[in-house]
Amino acid sequence: MAFYRYLLKRLLIVVPTLLGASIIVFLMIHLIPGDPVTVMLGERATDAAREALIQKLGLDQPLHVQFWTWLTNVAQGDFGISIRTNTAVTEEIFSRLPATVELTFAAIFIAVVFGIFFGVTAARYRNSIFDQMAIGFSLLGVSIPIFWLGMMMIFLFSVVMGWLPVSGRLTLGISLETITGLYLIDSLLTANMRAFWDALRHLVMPAAALSTVSLALFVRVTRSSMLDVLNEDYVRTARAKGLNMNIVIYKHALKNALIPIVTVVGLSVAQLLGGAVLTETVFSWPGIGRLLITSIGFRDYPLIQGIVFMLVFAFIIINLLVDLIYAYLDPRIRY
Amino acid sequence: MGTEFQMFVRQFKKNRLAVVAFFVAMVLFFLALFGPYLTPYDPLATSHDTRLLPGFWDDNMENPLGTDGLGRDLLSRLLYGAGISLRVGITVIIITAVVGISLGIVSGYLGGVIDLLVMRIVDIVLAFPPLLLALVIVAALGTGIERAMLAIAIIYIPGLARIVRGSVLTVKELPYVEASKAMGGGHFWIMLRHVLPNVITPTVVYLTLLLGDAILYTAALGFLGVGIDPSMPEWGAMLSGGKDYLLLGKWWITVFPGVMIFLAVLSFNLLGDGLREAMDAKLRI
Repeated sequence: MAFYRYLLKRLLIVVPTLLGASIIVFLMIHLIPGDPVTVMLGERATDAAREALIQKLGLDQPLHVQFWTWLTNVAQGDFGISIRTNTAVTEEIFSRLPATVELTFAAIFIAVVFGIFFGVTAARYRNSIFDQMAIGFSLLGVSIPIFWLGMMMIFLFSVVMGWLPVSGRLTLGISLETITGLYLIDSLLTANMRAFWDALRHLVMPAAALSTVSLALFVRVTRSSMLDVLNEDYVRTARAKGLNMNIVIYKHALKNALIPIVTVVGLSVAQLLGGAVLTETVFSWPGIGRLLITSIGFRDYPLIQGIVFMLVFAFIIINLLVDLIYAYLDPRIRY
Repeated sequence: MGTEFQMFVRQFKKNRLAVVAFFVAMVLFFLALFGPYLTPYDPLATSHDTRLLPGFWDDNMENPLGTDGLGRDLLSRLLYGAGISLRVGITVIIITAVVGISLGIVSGYLGGVIDLLVMRIVDIVLAFPPLLLALVIVAALGTGIERAMLAIAIIYIPGLARIVRGSVLTVKELPYVEASKAMGGGHFWIMLRHVLPNVITPTVVYLTLLLGDAILYTAALGFLGVGIDPSMPEWGAMLSGGKDYLLLGKWWITVFPGVMIFLAVLSFNLLGDGLREAMDAKLRI
């Protein structure tokens, strides 16, 4: 029961935050110094074109009317029309979204699996060479600019070694029937192993680059959380009764060390969403991060607003989910 | 006071990495201040004859770190870039400190509607992933070094305001604040004379930790081409300019600026960690 009350409370906090965020996204277009229409269409636009854009964006309406129209449209999934391509913003976003989702999930997967494994192993063999290396890595990992790391990976693995493709999601000429838009899953669903292998080869470098900061963080947090837990009585008991060390570590200790790890996984989502913009730019990955940068370059404000709103929305919902998982794992938090 | 500072220094010295980081940071500050006078060439001067020259590894002592795609000397640009990155970083920290501390103190001390309003805005701004927020601001205001600074500062202000507000809430209940009120001290006087000095120490350490982060965001915006003017020798912008040449095997254009960003961010992070540990140790005693 207490969990449902907590759920309701958290949901009620999300509403004003979302509303506030949408006000910021909406106001963006009004913060442009000078005349937004000139900024978007350029100095040489005809009066007719200017008038058409003003009508389309409703810029001749009072501000609160504009906001209300915008908000009701957004609630119905309508972000307007892209100025550059003349297609619906929603359509543009959804055609690019699977690429970003695939990249982000692959990065989280790498960070969680390797982060927990390295963190646990470092704690288990405390002060060993491996532990020192894990600490060193987690120190370097949070300071490295991932866009530079990505470029160095391209140089090493693509230019020098020639092992992996430089950019994109699929080699030209390899056909793949898209079902979900996630190439790895689509290729498995259609039993297209050639496309699967090719998509995987394209995904490895960007995902590894994007995962670096989170991976470093997870190693650090898992290590310190495990060190705390390994000193607990129940771990000593489990060992004293002669249980296999692997069972003690992964079943008894890790389960209890997970709570701080879940929090950091949640926190790193923000980093991953921001990092996706950088990684997608380095690897010419056709996701929404890259679309955002392109649309900023073209001053395509409806598209910018749509992408930013979608990303913030995703971020708020993911944070909510993390909080709920956290509360579910540790009942003490709810009170 | 003197002994307290000595104790702090002694604690700090125990962390060898932090001491190394301190010296690297000092070198970076030196480069930032005097880099423009040390540069062998004009960092903006282009020349067709010197395009894409390798550096010392190819016995080119004229341009020890090579030249870029427009024939500009890389060493000169890196030295000049140190000044840009640190100037942006420090300005961001100053803006963040002034606005964040003021907001935090006013919000925490006055409470009521103002507190509620400020904290709700803080919540909303924190609902944006940091880099995304900076991009929104740059997209609205346009590119340029001042706008990039403002955009990065806005990322940090809410977090700092929240931290300061937290300390203010404990400080304002203390007897000496009560005493000052009883003696007829005005709100502004109390905030300035009694509250501010007590929240400043934890804030300084937090701000050092932000400096590395701010340099990283500056480089990220420069790399994305939405930071400062791409022709300027900003480290992040240099990376973006060298990207295409990397595929041709001209690695030096991207390797060296990246190493500089990495070194700067790493040293400020380690320095911040060291300061925090030393401060914590001091507080424990």
